[in-house]
Amino acid sequence: MAADDEILSVHDLRRSFGGVRALTGATFGVGRGTVTALIGPNGAGKTTLVNVVAGAMKPQAGSVVFDGRDITGRPSHDVALNGLIRTFQISREYPAMTVLENLMVSPQGQTGEHLWTVLFRPSRYRAEERAHLERALEVLADFGLYEKRNDYARSLSGGQKRLLELARAVMARPKLLVLDEPMAGINPALITRLAEHILALREREGTTFLMVEHNLDVVEDMCDNVIVMAVGRTLATGTMAELRENPEVVSAYLTGGLVDVRAQG
Amino acid sequence: MGVILGYVATLGVYFFIYNIFAFGLNIQFGYTGILDFTVITFMAIGGYMAGVASLGPEQPGSDIYYVLGLSLPWPVALVIGAAAAGAAGYVLGLIALRRLRSDYLAIVTLAAGSIVYGVIGNANGLFDGFEGLVGVPQPLNGVLKLSPNSYTLFFLGLAGVIMAICWFVAERIYRSPLGRAMRAIREDLDVAEAYGKRTFRVRMTAMVIGCVFVGIGGVLTIWFVTALAPAGWGTSETFVVWAALIVGGRGNNLGAVVGSFLVAVLFNEATRFLPAIPGHPSLISEIRNMCIGGLVILTLWFRPQGAVAERKARFFEIPLRPGALDEAAKSVPAMATSGS
Repeated sequence: MAADDEILSVHDLRRSFGGVRALTGATFGVGRGTVTALIGPNGAGKTTLVNVVAGAMKPQAGSVVFDGRDITGRPSHDVALNGLIRTFQISREYPAMTVLENLMVSPQGQTGEHLWTVLFRPSRYRAEERAHLERALEVLADFGLYEKRNDYARSLSGGQKRLLELARAVMARPKLLVLDEPMAGINPALITRLAEHILALREREGTTFLMVEHNLDVVEDMCDNVIVMAVGRTLATGTMAELRENPEVVSAYLTGGLVDVRAQG
Repeated sequence: MGVILGYVATLGVYFFIYNIFAFGLNIQFGYTGILDFTVITFMAIGGYMAGVASLGPEQPGSDIYYVLGLSLPWPVALVIGAAAAGAAGYVLGLIALRRLRSDYLAIVTLAAGSIVYGVIGNANGLFDGFEGLVGVPQPLNGVLKLSPNSYTLFFLGLAGVIMAICWFVAERIYRSPLGRAMRAIREDLDVAEAYGKRTFRVRMTAMVIGCVFVGIGGVLTIWFVTALAPAGWGTSETFVVWAALIVGGRGNNLGAVVGSFLVAVLFNEATRFLPAIPGHPSLISEIRNMCIGGLVILTLWFRPQGAVAERKARFFEIPLRPGALDEAAKSVPAMATSGS
């Protein structure tokens, strides 16, 4: 894939924690408008990679280019304001805020977040607030959470929290949405439903998705492209069918990647 | 009659002042989750700065030493006191807010408060050390020529007006997108950051506004008492404000008012006017502290949200576009039941 089609280009990212080398050279690209999966055995460094890409951690080497901008080592809010939103492996809603409020936090660069406007010109953000509210209600309706809009987010079920997490991310109008195991621990019906939401969002809003996922059936069904990681580096990229034929990938999944990768140095 | 009136008016003034402290702490802790364990330090900074701004120049031979002594009119002194407290909050925020949160932040604020206490107490030339400032002029007292009781009533009105303005401002912030961002940061700082909130800036804003509020309360205190010494703003005073907010209900300004009334007025100030128990001169103040501590424990045990819980956010109801729910149901077939 040509580099100018890539919304995200990661080059040779490295990060270690003391003696633990979590990332030892991750290189990949995510094509604009694709749903790309990031797979790999436990401990492969997927979550570290997400954290480094999204600015929650600084890399020790390498570069991250997002939508033509070098965002390497930029703080999270900066990355988010550029249009890259990430979700977390465990649902992290704002528990003591209502479902609707959880969504209302998301829109970026709100006029009403400036102290001067709040204190002296509150009328300036009313129209904007109304527009956000209308959109939030539509998104909630879309995700089947409309009836829950005035409930505290902490009172939702595990599955509903997953939906909320995605709905909240959608409110931020991201260009690239990085989902860290969005399907973990939810029932098959809800998996289908989340998958449909993701594909519909790509269709409607042109959002690009990069998702860390363990469920290979889901990956096969949804994703255009798959990136395989093991022991801190990217092993291979391709479609699921191509990767099945790749002995290195198969070995990584069977052995945790230790044998092959160490042999290669 | 006059005595009772004066007593009630005095309690009323303290009530309003504690309301302002509690609003300030509420913005920091209740909205944003900043554990500011040195609230009272900013009251002192606000009070002292307003004091030295309104006092005349230091008199040689009077044995009272202080900086500035500008003889400024009271509204200017109020602004100076509030600004000084805000500036001090900004400095503390620079040190503490960039990297720290929760308990570590609390420890740093506590330490910063001790440092300020030690410096002000020992640097005699600053605000007259442990002796403290005395004889601070009261707003309009020389002009109005009122009896002490009438002046207390006048002051009650002044404090009430300032308190009402602070309440209004605090509510306006709470209901705004800024207040919403503050609460999101309180709930989960990392997530707010990942959603593009400039969390350091927002937390700093909350810190400074909170300190300005507390500073305004400090200015009112030094005006009302006409004196301020370190003994009046020890660490234990911080916990009176904390107790008021926790008992009343954090995150809710009405809760801050209720808590100020219960803790700061009923327990803390009203009991100061009780006669001492013979043979045990300091017993009452110790019992008072025990009662406040007990009240906090009971609140956290039985009603952790406080007497008046934080309100659910209400949005003006916008009717959903007709058919939006049907469309959503159609676009996700056979999945009408949500959740697992």
